[in-house]
Amino acid sequence: MGSDRAAEDLELFLAERGEPLLRTAVLLGGSREAGEDLLQAALERLLRRWRTIEGDPEGYLRRILYHLAADNWRKQRAWRTRLRLLQPGAGPAVADGTAEVDLRDSLVRLLRQLPPRQRAVIVARYWEQLSEAESAQVLGCSVGTVKSATSRGLRRLRELSESSGPAELAAQGSTRGNRS
Amino acid sequence: MNTELEQRLRDDMEQATRDFRVPPGLALKAYRHYRKRTMTTRVVAAAGTAAVLTAGTLSVAEVTGVFGQPAGGTQVRTTAYVISRVERALSAPDMNNMVAYTRTVYPAGTTLQPVPGGVNGSGGPRASSPRGGDYELLWAYHHGEKLSSFTASGQRVFDERITVGTASLATTVVTYTSHTWWRAQSARPAGAGSASQGCLPGGQIRLNGSANAWPDFIHSQLACGAYTVAGKQLLGAVDALKITGGSGQITLWVNPVTYLPMRMEQGGQVQVNFQWLAPTRANLAMLNMPVPASFRQVAPPS
Repeated sequence: MGSDRAAEDLELFLAERGEPLLRTAVLLGGSREAGEDLLQAALERLLRRWRTIEGDPEGYLRRILYHLAADNWRKQRAWRTRLRLLQPGAGPAVADGTAEVDLRDSLVRLLRQLPPRQRAVIVARYWEQLSEAESAQVLGCSVGTVKSATSRGLRRLRELSESSGPAELAAQGSTRGNRS
Repeated sequence: MNTELEQRLRDDMEQATRDFRVPPGLALKAYRHYRKRTMTTRVVAAAGTAAVLTAGTLSVAEVTGVFGQPAGGTQVRTTAYVISRVERALSAPDMNNMVAYTRTVYPAGTTLQPVPGGVNGSGGPRASSPRGGDYELLWAYHHGEKLSSFTASGQRVFDERITVGTASLATTVVTYTSHTWWRAQSARPAGAGSASQGCLPGGQIRLNGSANAWPDFIHSQLACGAYTVAGKQLLGAVDALKITGGSGQITLWVNPVTYLPMRMEQGGQVQVNFQWLAPTRANLAMLNMPVPASFRQVAPPS
């Protein structure tokens, strides 16, 4: 069956290219668990188009990852938060995330606190090292949106690191304003 | 400026995800979810179609008009046209800035052994000590490449990192089966880096001593002539164009949109599968080859 071959092809593809994709997904999702969920959701979408994709499926999968992270992932997170609120004896309405954090580094932890689209832009620009135009293409938005999201994201990261992060980051003053 | 914050961000992202590996079974899990969802959709769609048929409102002529075209159209592309497009794609300036990723599958019994400046292959019986040879993955970019050799069961046998200098090649090899590594400097072969490879007889793949040499190799083989477009073949999701040569020449499958090579077979035995990737941080990271701290350094083979 063609579909069985699709499963085999996908397994092979993931064996070869899975590691960098998972790393991107983890950064987009904010934790290892969320990253794996995100990658799985993206793979399911990829399978829908598996037979019709022209060329390298990795580019297509990356775009799905970013789109999910920027859009659907936010809805899912909101749904999860509501579910948590409904549970008896639930914790604070806004979880600080420390219980779920399996990422070690301070700036990556702070990255979780950015809105999904800003986080996706930051990952595209500084992890994947895509240009503004390439980031716009992968995220399906304009270059202007990428520029403003990058600027806001970095400013927010700096503010967060100054209020809670390591001292050495706080020492690096930004000349940008604090308008939110 | 944000430069230091940006650099710190890059380093933190690299550090935080360094040890992450894809959990086993993720592809299968995704596939099962996908199948479950499609089957549900099909049941719903079938019920909908039955209702439409009962009402007698389905117009067969209309459906044929929309969907009745043969898949892929009937465009015939001449050999000369296809070859010229492939040659143009291979010599496009963008190619110099792509990460070439290849998966090469060798015939059973092939033994690969890393040597300074490359890999020696032989088709004899496998040596008793495990050596790579069943398949290899190679990432190449600008002046560097990393090759990982595996057994059929997926056991990593060795990694080889080659950095191409103007006059010499620096080779580092990590052998996982013996927990050893070596480093060597060797002279760059004469004629290295030149695009012309000559027309090679069957069974030979000779790269030109520079990293990411595949485009030059394929280009030079196509220039030997006697190639024809032998129809289309589905590779993964792509209906690839198949280009065949005479006896002993390469067979090439190219993407019908980009005209970049997707697969190459030499002598009907060695199969090379290509991907041309953007030089993202994640893709470039695949060229890194750390030497495990516990491994013992040994002398390189002569």
